[in-house]
Amino acid sequence: MTLTLTHYLVLAALLFCLGVYGAITRKNAIGILMALELVFNAVNLTLVAAGRFRPQPDAVGQLFALFVIAAAAAESILGLAIILAIYRRRVVVNADEMDLMKN
Amino acid sequence: MAETILFYVLAGLLLLSAGLVVTVRNIFHAALYLALALFVVAALYVMLGAYFLAAVQVLIYIGAVVILAIFVINLTRTVTGAPVTLTRRWVIPAALVSALTASLIVVALLKSAGTTGAAVPAAAVGGEGAAAALGRHLLGDFVLPFELVSVLLLSALIAAVVIVNKDGEEDR
Repeated sequence: MTLTLTHYLVLAALLFCLGVYGAITRKNAIGILMALELVFNAVNLTLVAAGRFRPQPDAVGQLFALFVIAAAAAESILGLAIILAIYRRRVVVNADEMDLMKN
Repeated sequence: MAETILFYVLAGLLLLSAGLVVTVRNIFHAALYLALALFVVAALYVMLGAYFLAAVQVLIYIGAVVILAIFVINLTRTVTGAPVTLTRRWVIPAALVSALTASLIVVALLKSAGTTGAAVPAAAVGGEGAAAALGRHLLGDFVLPFELVSVLLLSALIAAVVIVNKDGEEDR
């Protein structure tokens, strides 16, 4: 039994759903960000595997994954900066306590 | 055959560590399990022939993103000595939603498994040529997104400095 594209896609789908589960259940904002990193990695795995198993394999799948990594790095930097700024102001890290704009 | 066994070992390790990332109660441990999960993804990239991407994954994700997350965990924890345990909410709805989504995608994938093609010979892509091909794409037909990514990263960097800095000046 050889490895096919389906193996990698099923693995990526399971990883994606684990990340979604974490993003919903975590209360801590840093925990939510870490679960989102799992989601990004699932997407990247899909892209790289799809590029690898094309009839004429090329590097475009890896290229897209590279762009996703750059966007994820920017997202992670900004998210952590916002968490740090809110923490300095109000000493909260739980996402449901960040309700400055609620009233 | 050895490749298949290696894939299943890595897949099990990946799902185990990812499950621990989203369920373990100590957030510091969650960050370390995240590093393990990202490393296993890098190993899968090597299996797919994407050597350059595996190096980028280790350098940027484990070397920068996880370390940054650990820094922020420590910064938001040690000031007050607040407990590091994580509370959970909506466990059953979240488990239901993700399990249903997973079963939907997996069933659809397995139904279309015959049409997604057979395995490609290992030497088809990858190796040292992949990095060169990536560079040629980046400065060739993908040069506009490449430049846009540099603008995105620069603006994210400046925004992060401004967000963290201004607040401290005003309040202290």
